[in-house]
Amino acid sequence: MHELPFAKSIFHAVVTKAEANGATKVTRVVIEVGVLRDFVPEIVQKYWKYVTKGSMAEDSSIEMNEIPATVTCGDCQTVYEINVHDLVHTHCPQCGCQTGKMLTGRELRIVGIEIE
Amino acid sequence: MKELKFIDLKQCILDDNGHVADEVRELARQKKFFLWNIMSSPGAGKTTFILDVIRRLKGEFRIGVIEGDIESTVDAQKMQALDVPTVQLRIGGDCHLDAAMIKKALENLPLDELNIVIIENIGNLVCPAEFDLGANLPSMLLSVPEGDDKALKYPLMFSVCKALIVTKIDCLPLFDFDMEALKINTRRLNDDLQIFPVSAKTGEGMDEFIAMLKQLIANNLQLL
Repeated sequence: MHELPFAKSIFHAVVTKAEANGATKVTRVVIEVGVLRDFVPEIVQKYWKYVTKGSMAEDSSIEMNEIPATVTCGDCQTVYEINVHDLVHTHCPQCGCQTGKMLTGRELRIVGIEIE
Repeated sequence: MKELKFIDLKQCILDDNGHVADEVRELARQKKFFLWNIMSSPGAGKTTFILDVIRRLKGEFRIGVIEGDIESTVDAQKMQALDVPTVQLRIGGDCHLDAAMIKKALENLPLDELNIVIIENIGNLVCPAEFDLGANLPSMLLSVPEGDDKALKYPLMFSVCKALIVTKIDCLPLFDFDMEALKINTRRLNDDLQIFPVSAKTGEGMDEFIAMLKQLIANNLQLL
């Protein structure tokens, strides 16, 4: 349920932008979400339907592009993608060490909106 | 058919919260107080730990507390018993604190008199990690009974913290908790994370933590 406050924030930003562009209707919204945010696409859809009801964005679709998690190796600085669902087997492909600094994976962005 | 137009936004969904968090950071800088966000799951020992920290720092620093809870004022009452200015945020169904709540709470603390403001966040390892509160030190508590594999289950929380305080280490003989495994698990995503094993009950490890905290506060407030 942690997606709900974000659905509301997205809705607010989308409507503000749509109105500023003289739109009467929002038909599509595209968002980018880092995998560490643990957003479940089905839940995002459900909340989107709920928050847009009766508004200019009612019946619009919301597409979620997932951004993979990458880290910079703490030892050799190699950038590599990690599988957050199997962190226990994560190590640097270059030097094999198990330390890193998060580079991507925490994003939460609205990419764009389609309006009429 | 009506014309469809696609507008590029590239707008961060957390912008609104981020802007308020920046205001909080600026307020802390102007008023010269150190803002410390403490997150954990429910029952990790936040209140006991905070009370011990307050007892140890009270002579040297003037401390205020922001208490976040779904319901009740029991924690705030414990803080006030130590004569510490406290604001209780009773947030009902919400599962986290955001920067706007902190800004509001700070309005109700005597900031000109304080050096440290401690935020006791809602017990939850998911949502509190998602909201920047403008704190100088975002930190979390992990209690020994919760296990050494929590970083594998809640990677976002462990990736946003600068300090991890492992509480209830007096319970270590009772649990299969492997401190080395915890270090490996957390450093996969956040190798800057500092780890402090403590027991607020026996006092073990508290001196080391307090020494780090004082140094960090001094660096931030440029008092020393």
